[in-house]
Amino acid sequence: MANKVGIVAVMAGVAAFAVPLFAHHGAASYDTSKTVTVAGTVTEYVWSNPHVLVKVDAKDASGNVAHWVCEAWNPVTQTGRGWTKNTFKAGDEVSLEINPAKNGASVGEIRGRIVINGTEFKQTP
Amino acid sequence: MSKRFVVSIVAVIAAGMFSPLLRAQDEKWNNIPPTRAAYRDKKPSGVPPRRDITGIWDTAQALGTSGAPEHPALGPGGRGSQGGQQDETGIEKPLPYTAAGLAALKKNLPSGPGVRQVDSVLTNDPAGKCDPLGFPYMFSWEFRTINVVQTAKQVIMLSPFYGNYRVIWTDGRQPPKDPDLRYNGYSVGTWMDDYTFVVRTTGMLPKTWLDHAGRPHSDQLVVDETFHRVSADTIEYTQKITDPVMYTEPWIATNKLPVHLMPPDFDIPELQCSPSEFAEYNNQVGGVVLRDSSKK
Repeated sequence: MANKVGIVAVMAGVAAFAVPLFAHHGAASYDTSKTVTVAGTVTEYVWSNPHVLVKVDAKDASGNVAHWVCEAWNPVTQTGRGWTKNTFKAGDEVSLEINPAKNGASVGEIRGRIVINGTEFKQTP
Repeated sequence: MSKRFVVSIVAVIAAGMFSPLLRAQDEKWNNIPPTRAAYRDKKPSGVPPRRDITGIWDTAQALGTSGAPEHPALGPGGRGSQGGQQDETGIEKPLPYTAAGLAALKKNLPSGPGVRQVDSVLTNDPAGKCDPLGFPYMFSWEFRTINVVQTAKQVIMLSPFYGNYRVIWTDGRQPPKDPDLRYNGYSVGTWMDDYTFVVRTTGMLPKTWLDHAGRPHSDQLVVDETFHRVSADTIEYTQKITDPVMYTEPWIATNKLPVHLMPPDFDIPELQCSPSEFAEYNNQVGGVVLRDSSKK
């Protein structure tokens, strides 16, 4: 269970998406064979072109904070998936499944399950 | 089971299929069209008006992110989307490049999913700099939703995506013989019959791309389009590419793509390209995830 300080871990998963369904610009930079769960506190939500960004501070087991930038598509496409400019706000506790950057940077493309303050956010298919 | 119960069930299912549209109708602004799934079992219906394609039309997210819809730069089963190739060897539906066409292709570095994809900060896609897409790029990628207006002498197509617009002259004029090249070229349209509007476009700037996979064209490019209104609520859109400098034979980029009529009060969302927003994105994401930082 997440506490209010900003928490949890980053867990590596494997190969959920052999063929990217929603690959877009720059997807070549992401490892689509890996799914990573970023869990922590939203620091900023950027509802803007070209891509929407969710910035998350996530602590590892040692208490070190990693500043993650998780990207989605543009606001119009995200609106079609049920997102709005108010889906996230600073301070939200979130868990986001992403494809991580191949070069190891704390950046990823949101590709799976989304949990906001303990409630799963269901995207429009 | 009562008839009323069955009707209720059908109504609930229909509401689910079109829920984004219903939500949009409630709010009146920034309407989001239904997805392709909403049309899966829906047949075109209604008698169309004669010689008329006015209205707000949507492609149900038939986005050519991997290139022209009929020739995506992907191998069988969508393989190769991560890029890494200089040419398009192995794609499922190869294009008939000339030697000049192949050389020109290799100079264009696309960032969309495909066998030639590069990191987003390394692309030289005009779209990546917010340069004008021009025609036909605007209709081969992110076609999305357009507003079509007809006057006595023109058909005007407005797209809030990247702020694109087209003017198609219907006053009987012929394409210019020695055009001053333009991003959108010069379009003339005629009605082949009451429900088939055909458009020929010439005179496009060769620095623009044909599609999001970086397919090139020369100043000899001719694009022939057919807008076939098969019913009141559906147009089938076809686009043919002819460019003897880059391709050994004409090819079909889009084939009978269904385009669906939206309600008349449908407000199309804005999707502009802002150079400053792109720069900020590359600063925070594109440059950070570059696979080989020596290329930055």
